[in-house]
Amino acid sequence: MNNPLRFDVRDITRIAVFAAIIAVLGLPGAIPVFGGAVPITAQTLGVMLAGVVLGPWRGAAAVVIFEVLVLVGLPLLSGGHGGAGVFVGPTAGYLIGWIFGAFVIGAIVRADRRRPTWWRVALGCFVGGIGVVYAFGVPVQSLVTGLPLGPTALSSAVYLPGDVLKIVVATLIALTLWRAYPRAFGGAQVSTVSSTAGPVSAGSAGAGSSRAASTDAARPDAARQ
Amino acid sequence: MIAVYRPGSSLLHRMPAGLKVLGFMASALAITFTAGSVWTQPVAAVLVCAGYLVAGLGLREILRQVWAVRWVILIMLVTQFVFLPPVVASANTGRVVTIMVLAALITLTTRIPALLDATESSLAPLRRFGVNPAGVGLVLGMTITTIPVIAGFAATIREAQRARGVPVRITTFAVPLLVMSLKHSDDLADALTARGAG
Amino acid sequence: MTSLPLISFDAVSVDFAGRTALRDVSIVLHQRRIGVIGSNGSGKSTFARMLNGLVSATSGTVRVHDLDAARQAKQLSRKVGFVFSNPDAQIVMPTVAEDVAFSLRGRGLSRTEVDDRVASTLQTYGMSDHADAPAHSLSGGQKQLLALCAILIGRPDLVVADEPTALLDAANTRRIGNHLLDDLEQQLVLVTHDLRLAARCDVVLRFDEGRLVESGDPTSVIERYEREHA
Repeated sequence: MNNPLRFDVRDITRIAVFAAIIAVLGLPGAIPVFGGAVPITAQTLGVMLAGVVLGPWRGAAAVVIFEVLVLVGLPLLSGGHGGAGVFVGPTAGYLIGWIFGAFVIGAIVRADRRRPTWWRVALGCFVGGIGVVYAFGVPVQSLVTGLPLGPTALSSAVYLPGDVLKIVVATLIALTLWRAYPRAFGGAQVSTVSSTAGPVSAGSAGAGSSRAASTDAARPDAARQ
Repeated sequence: MIAVYRPGSSLLHRMPAGLKVLGFMASALAITFTAGSVWTQPVAAVLVCAGYLVAGLGLREILRQVWAVRWVILIMLVTQFVFLPPVVASANTGRVVTIMVLAALITLTTRIPALLDATESSLAPLRRFGVNPAGVGLVLGMTITTIPVIAGFAATIREAQRARGVPVRITTFAVPLLVMSLKHSDDLADALTARGAG
Repeated sequence: MTSLPLISFDAVSVDFAGRTALRDVSIVLHQRRIGVIGSNGSGKSTFARMLNGLVSATSGTVRVHDLDAARQAKQLSRKVGFVFSNPDAQIVMPTVAEDVAFSLRGRGLSRTEVDDRVASTLQTYGMSDHADAPAHSLSGGQKQLLALCAILIGRPDLVVADEPTALLDAANTRRIGNHLLDDLEQQLVLVTHDLRLAARCDVVLRFDEGRLVESGDPTSVIERYEREHA
C-alpha cells in the first residue's frame, strides 16, 4: 500500500467497530475489571487491543475516531467524561499518547506480519502502551498543571501497576483470540486478501473496491472454522 | 446516547461551532500566558460566569461542571501541595479548572451533529495527506451507530456467562466480545458494499 | 407475462477457501417474484450475493439486467438493493432519516431533493414518526422496515432479500413479506426458510449442497422439498 491512510470498506468498518469497543469498555458496568478490586479503567486495554488486532494505521485510526467523538461531547471516557474539557485538562497528553501508543503497539506486534507471539504483544504493549503514552502524558500534564516534570512523573507512577496488569491481560486476550478466531488479525495490512482490489481513500465511494475481501467475508464461518 | 448538550436559543447556541472553538482557544491561551498576574484568575472567573449566564445555563451549571471534574481537582491539589507552595498550588488548580469549565461551554451549547460537521470541515487541509473528510464523517457516524450494538454484545456475553455459572472475568469476556464485534464488522462491510458505498 | 429484465446464470461455480459453495449453476429467470429455498449451507445465500456482485463467480458468467456481474459490479450494486437477515448489520448511520439518506450519497442530489425523497419514503412505510429517532432504538421489525426504506429510496431495479424475516416474529414476518411480495414493482429474489412466503412467489428455486436441484412451480417444488425432509 502506497498511502497507508487509504482504507478499503473492511478496514473502515473495523475502525468504526474498534472505536465503538473502546467506548463500550468505558461504559459503567460494561466490563468487570478484576472484580472491581483494582481501580483501573478497561479503556486503555481497548487502546492496546486496537493496536494488536488492527495493526498500526487502522489501530491508531480507531483511537482517533473514538477521541473525536469524546471531543465533540459524547460522554464516552470512563466515568462518563467527554467534551472539549478533557483535551485541555491534565490528562490531555495521555489521550494524545493513546493514538501514538496504538500505532507503536501495532508496528511492533505486526513487524513480521505473522501470528502474534506472546513476547511481541507484551513488548509492544509495554513500549507503546506505557512508554509512548507516558512520554506524551507526563510532559503535557506537567505543562498544564504547572507542576515540574520530576514530581509529575513521580505522581503518575501510581498508575504503573495497573498498566502492567493490563499488558498481561492484553497478551492473554491476544493469544486466546488468535486460537479462537485467527481471521481477527487478517485484513488489508497483514494478508494479501484485498491487495488485488483498488483501495479507496477512507470511506470514499467506489463500489467493488473490496470485492476480493468481501468474497472471503461472505461466509465468515465457513472460511476458516 | 446521553449527550451533554443543553438546548437553548442564546447567542452562544446560535454562534457557529468553529467560531466558538476559536474563541475558546484564544481565551485559554490568554489565561495560560498571563498566569503570573494577580488579575488573571478573577478576570477569568468573571469571563466564565458571563459565558454561562449568556448561554442561559445559570451559575448552578458551573457548579455541576466543577463537580464533574472533582477527581482532577482532588488529585491535582494532593500532588501540588506536596511539591509546591500552597499559593502556587491553588492558583494552578484554579487555572486548570477554569479552562476545563470554559471548554465545557462549547459542548453544552453546540449540538453534536454541528460539532461533527465542524470537525469534518476542519479536516479539509489534510486532504493532501490522503485524508478524506467525508470518509471520516462516515466513520464517525458509523461508530455512533455501532456503540449500542457492541454494548448489546457485552450484555449478552455477561448474561450467557452468568447463566453457565462461569465467573465473569476480563479474559473470558473480552475474547467473545472481540469475535462478535469483528464478525459484525464483516457484516457491516457487506452491507456498505451492497448499498453502493464501498 | 410482461417482459421483465433477465437474470441469467451460465455454468456458474464458486469456490471459497477450498470449498465449493456453488457448482455449475445454469438458469434464466424472468419472473417478478423468485423464491429461493434450501437447507443451511446449500448455496442459496451465495446465489443471492452474486446478484449484486458481493460474491463473484470462480467460473461461468452471471448477467443481471443486461449487466455482467463480474465486470460491471459497481453499476450493479446501484441497480440491486440487498436486504440482509440482521438489520443491525445493515444500519450504518445514527438516526433513521440519516441512514435512509445515506443510500443517496454520491448521486449528486441536492440537500432538499434528498430530504424530500427521505420524507416520502418514510411516509410510504409508516416510519415518518421515527425519522429523527436513533436507529438502534427501533424494534426488530421496525429496523427491518428501515433497511427496506434505505434500499427502496435508491430505486433499484432488483431487490434481493437474504432471509429477511429470519429474526422477526410472525406479525412482522407477514408485514415484511407483504411489502416484498405484494407492494414492490421491482423484480424480487427472496431467499427464505419460510415456505409460506416462498409459496407466494411466481417461481421457486431449490438448492442442495451447492447445486440448483430444481426450479419451477412453487407448489410442486415446495411439496417435494417437504417430502424429502420429512
